[in-house]
Amino acid sequence: MAAAITPQPVEYAAETPVTGKVRLEAAWGSTEGDEDFTTTASSAPKPDGQVFKPQYKQWNGQLNPRWMRNWAILRHHLLGIFKKGHRPWGMPIRLYLLVVFIASLTDVGLTLVSALIGDSGLHSIWGVSRDNLYGHVLGFFPRNMLYYPVIAALLVGGVISEDRQHGTSALYFSRPITRFDYVGMKFLSVALIQGLIILVSLSLYYFAEIAAMGRGWAWIIDTLPMFLATVFSAVLLIFTYTSIGLSLSSVSKGKFFPGIALLSIILGTKILAFIVSNLFDREILYLISPYDCLAHVGQAIIGTQPTYDQYSWTWSLASLVAMNALALYVLTTRVSSMEVTRE
Amino acid sequence: MIPDFDQQGAAETKQWVPEVSAPAILLENVSKSYGRIFALSNITLALNGGVTGVLGMNGAGKSTLFNLLMGKLKPSQGSIKLFGTDPWKNPAPYARVGFVPEHEKMYDWMTGYGFVSTFARLNGLTRDEASVEANRVLEFVGLTDVAYKKIGQYSKGMRQRAKIAHALVNDPELIILDEPLQGCDPLARTTIMNLIRELGRMGRTVLVSSHILQEIERITEQIVILHQGRLLALGNLHSIRERLDKIPHRISIQAENPKELAKDVIDIDEVYGVSFPDGKNISIQTHNLGAIHSQLPRIIVDNNHKVSTIDNPDDDLASILGYLTSGGGM
Repeated sequence: MAAAITPQPVEYAAETPVTGKVRLEAAWGSTEGDEDFTTTASSAPKPDGQVFKPQYKQWNGQLNPRWMRNWAILRHHLLGIFKKGHRPWGMPIRLYLLVVFIASLTDVGLTLVSALIGDSGLHSIWGVSRDNLYGHVLGFFPRNMLYYPVIAALLVGGVISEDRQHGTSALYFSRPITRFDYVGMKFLSVALIQGLIILVSLSLYYFAEIAAMGRGWAWIIDTLPMFLATVFSAVLLIFTYTSIGLSLSSVSKGKFFPGIALLSIILGTKILAFIVSNLFDREILYLISPYDCLAHVGQAIIGTQPTYDQYSWTWSLASLVAMNALALYVLTTRVSSMEVTRE
Repeated sequence: MIPDFDQQGAAETKQWVPEVSAPAILLENVSKSYGRIFALSNITLALNGGVTGVLGMNGAGKSTLFNLLMGKLKPSQGSIKLFGTDPWKNPAPYARVGFVPEHEKMYDWMTGYGFVSTFARLNGLTRDEASVEANRVLEFVGLTDVAYKKIGQYSKGMRQRAKIAHALVNDPELIILDEPLQGCDPLARTTIMNLIRELGRMGRTVLVSSHILQEIERITEQIVILHQGRLLALGNLHSIRERLDKIPHRISIQAENPKELAKDVIDIDEVYGVSFPDGKNISIQTHNLGAIHSQLPRIIVDNNHKVSTIDNPDDDLASILGYLTSGGGM
């Protein structure tokens, strides 16, 4: 909308008092150069929104049972790895998971290569054996140094701590969901993602051997116990890393501390036990190392040559049970008191 | 800290049958203390149907009350029942409850639709049901146009409406809104107030807290007043005011000639006193507000007084809170 403004003549005399108006006109050149006395005003702004008359339509459906609510929590976390609209895991985490999964398949590739070459010497190095099955899950370098603990640290980082940080756990608990269901599904989702990498790659390794080498029932029956023992070791490893990691997540309000603390516990205790063992020839400290205990138990049940020979593997199993019990106690305590106490 | 293992895992919604005769909310002698500090002290309260406003100053115990109702806190003493069931021991009643928390935090990376449908599934709806119901409540709160935008891009009012939508997706019979109008612009406030009134009209039990007293007045006349953890008053706003018989009501009139008006008004039997706060206003004190208001128009017209405003300054919530908590008007 444009409107013409009529210019008003302004006269200045010596006795004219210095007022704000005069100063202002002087500063802006008074009326000189402002021959075009028009102004443009924008049209009235449109209202930013509307007040509407709400009409509530009620729902007459039936609520489904507990397992469906739990499945909703589980899929929310699991599907976040693959697509948007679910829990965002972050691109670096997803990339690392992919890299580790591909890296975990190296023994599958080597098995196929050795089968193609047909060299029995190579196959004895790369093919399925007690030591190689153990190495796939419990080998320290690179798998339990660079792969699995790092994955666990990345996954557990914000799973509970971010709910504590943002108070979004209140949204969960405003639903008919028990705290057991809440923490159980979070535990299961973190464990399943690790399982997707460790157990799937292990299974592919075993089945690659069967397919590439044309193994028959006799070989399968012969090797199945040690394969199942390896699967059990992998489950134990996943459970232990997840329980320790989630207990750390439950006492924190950020991603960083649980991740770093988990790596420190797994790798720090391993290094400490290694140093003490080398300097003093005493292996007792491996009992405080989750990795060493897992490896010792794994060696015992898979049947490989034990590297921890000063103590029985049952000590390691007892230590693992104690570690998991402590971690689950902390996790239970923290989730039980989540939102309950004034923090 | 020792974990509290009281909470049971029996959250089977289908098996859970609410008591038909039980009120939506029943608190019996409920207290909550933090060490020596009592956040709530011996509250007994039953609510069923309609909109109820929870009022109180900061630290009155409003949030503690809501946290107790939502199972976020365990009462130190007494019992809380939602539809006849203790929610701390069994969260199944939350299948019939919608909660809008006070805090700002939401899942900003989710779309409004994703947020609502995800929480619909946490109530046990299937994917298809969750989709239908999410669209239903998003339409109700007026977010259909922006349903597929990320919540992080929403305005404050839209975020509040998204929270209300997520609370309504399971078609709850009890809706608890903790400060839903906080930080909203006037347009958003009006919209949210309309939503709350509509839910009350639908027969839902709605519990809403707010610091903005005038807006609670616009939503409901049924109020609960808390002060320093104690239940100060419960009931209809005007009835509560009427019960404060010992404290006279005031009628403030802005007139051209207040002293002449005072001469005519003082003859009314129910007038307790008259004062002149300034040159243009007259303040009439009475124990019977209705009697004065029935006679005042006739006196004004018959004696040809020029009056610009007539106001009852003591009949709003702020004054009632003031009277109840300190014995004087605000």
